[in-house]
Amino acid sequence: MNIPGRSTATPSSVRAFVRSRRARPAGALDRYVAVFGVLMTAAVLGNPLSAALAGLAGRVEPARAAAGLALVAVAYAGFVAVARLAGPVALPAADAAWLVLSPLDRRGVLARTARVLLVTAVVVGAVLGLAALAALGAPDQLVWRLLGAVVLGVSATTGGVALAVLGQVTPSWNGWLTAVTTALLAVAVLLTVAAVGGRWRAAFEPVAVPLTWPATAAEVPLAALGGAPLTWVAAVTGGAALGAALLVRQAWSALGRMPARAVLAASLRVGHVTRAATVLDPSALTWAAEDNHWRSRRLRSRPWPPLPAPFALAWHDWRRAVRRPGRLVALPATAVMPAVLVQALGGPVGAAGGPPLVVVASVLAGALAVAVAHTAGARRDGDNPALSRLAGVGRRPALAARALLPALLSGAWAAAALAGLTLAGALPTAPATGSGTYLDGAWWLFGPAMAPAVAAGALRMARRRPVDHSMPVIDTPGGAVPTGPLFWALTGVDLAVLGCLPALAAFAVGTDGIGVLLAAQTITGLAVLAASTLRAGSANGT
Amino acid sequence: MSEAIIVAHEVSVELGGNPVLAGVSLTASRGEVVALVGPNGSGKSTLLRCLAGLQPVTSGHVTVLGAEPVDEAAFWRQVALMGDEPAWYPGLTGREHLELMAAVHGESRMTADEALELFGLDGRADASPLNLSTGQRQRLHLAATLIRPSRVLLLDEPERGLDAAFRTRLGVLVEEYAAEGGTVVMATHDPELAGRGCRMSPTGQLTS
Repeated sequence: MNIPGRSTATPSSVRAFVRSRRARPAGALDRYVAVFGVLMTAAVLGNPLSAALAGLAGRVEPARAAAGLALVAVAYAGFVAVARLAGPVALPAADAAWLVLSPLDRRGVLARTARVLLVTAVVVGAVLGLAALAALGAPDQLVWRLLGAVVLGVSATTGGVALAVLGQVTPSWNGWLTAVTTALLAVAVLLTVAAVGGRWRAAFEPVAVPLTWPATAAEVPLAALGGAPLTWVAAVTGGAALGAALLVRQAWSALGRMPARAVLAASLRVGHVTRAATVLDPSALTWAAEDNHWRSRRLRSRPWPPLPAPFALAWHDWRRAVRRPGRLVALPATAVMPAVLVQALGGPVGAAGGPPLVVVASVLAGALAVAVAHTAGARRDGDNPALSRLAGVGRRPALAARALLPALLSGAWAAAALAGLTLAGALPTAPATGSGTYLDGAWWLFGPAMAPAVAAGALRMARRRPVDHSMPVIDTPGGAVPTGPLFWALTGVDLAVLGCLPALAAFAVGTDGIGVLLAAQTITGLAVLAASTLRAGSANGT
Repeated sequence: MSEAIIVAHEVSVELGGNPVLAGVSLTASRGEVVALVGPNGSGKSTLLRCLAGLQPVTSGHVTVLGAEPVDEAAFWRQVALMGDEPAWYPGLTGREHLELMAAVHGESRMTADEALELFGLDGRADASPLNLSTGQRQRLHLAATLIRPSRVLLLDEPERGLDAAFRTRLGVLVEEYAAEGGTVVMATHDPELAGRGCRMSPTGQLTS
């Protein structure tokens, strides 16, 4: 062995040494399988991709273009946020432990990660570019516009990742990235208002509601953007590519100065992710993120209110919610997403003039996500009941008290989302009530009516046990399906869907019998919550 | 004869076909402290779990406060168990964890301020438990266990991570709890702490 202690050792020679000690180095067969896999993927995706590209030609309605671009902007901001959360420069645990705190050249140690980041950014950028073009449409010169969109997307993602790397080395760079993502989110909000507002204005045109801004203000440039001259496209694309190339070069040269602590902290976070993926238990991720959040916060104790025991226990979730004001503020903003989605999909196409199934599913999923985010107490007691045993509060009263906050917030969120869908014209504006009267926009009443069932589903999700890998694997024509992760993923969702069946039926049948279904939803939601609480009380464990 | 609060009679436990406890008997009365001593793997923690109703016995029987121990709220209102470090509630400070314990029981053996001072945490009251040292988190866990009212205290190696000075103070706290009429059973490797009560090994032999 000639590696340790030699000044001639390089990161590549160290990695070659480690590879040589593996049980079986990669052989010709492995390379053949890898190449064959790539070719098969290309063959399978070739036809649908070319069909999708051909479908890009033509103009797109401004409201739909605005909604599509808003989703692309949110997806880009999400990509950058994930990159920052992951590091973005991180190493596998073994490399972090052995190679970072060594005399090896830092850039050499991190070069492989940098290449992975670059490839990821290029792929994501190409997809985002395609999505943006699909949103705007290509009235002419499809090939050149496609090329421009892809280059623009790749420039945006590689530039964003390069900024994130620079921010990891020198925190002052983070300000630029934050400014860019904030600006993009602001644009997304404007586009959302334009998309929903455009639909809203169209729906109320007969009553002459004077809503001319920002819908009109955004629609005009959008129409111009879709059919921009090729010289403009080339200039913007070239500028973006040049800027991204400069940032990537700057990030590459900064890689050698990357502080060890930054890499080690990021590697620890990625280690949590890898472990969660390895054992197929995503709940491990939520605790890692939760604990990281509170470790970095300065808290100030406030007196605990004198409440009955179950509510005193449940008060933890309320206090935790208040201590994350950003999340509370973001919730109403996300309620507009189903309306944006319906615009991006081209307006209402579901049965009886109702929204498409995916939009209805997004309302239920969003409400469930809001509820789940506020069940930390039940989740923590489910994972480790030590504190709940010390508290000595019965399971049923504790669960009932803990249902209050998720029900309240998910009900409000679903009400806002349904109101947004009504304004966007995705739901009939005059649903008939059971008594035969008409109430404009009464769809939002389904939000509070669904809330108890959604809270019951969220609490069931919070209390589910880890994935049971001993459950059987079912062979299907589409491949093997492991039932353990499947049942784990469906636990909680099942109860929410079951409890919201009347509401789902109402979306499917449109305005007919809406009053009866609203009453049925109220009763079903409460019944599902009561039944799940009573059933939890009979289970073992506090 | 004083009132028997905990009775374990000829308790045997097998885990995966291996005998962990074989015919252990134990009686603890009101105001008594019993220390379970012995090397690692001798079954101290398993016996404590049997007394807490968390480990079914293979043979023999256990009663706590006149009934079989069960993992239910009514039992835990009388019995306080301190085992491995708990999963702290996210977003709460150390003081708020103590106030939460006092609030859910409606009464407390001491105020949160008194507990923080007694356990040497008054300077870290506003810290998240995640930001405390191992020893400080153990103190907070002990404070949360002792701030609430209970009739039986089950402690599994409460001296873990504590400095020598605080171990002595812990012994005094355990004695005070027993003097108030409580019953304590604790598994420990600390000779001084074990010396505070009747010592017993999980083989059933009373050593002092």
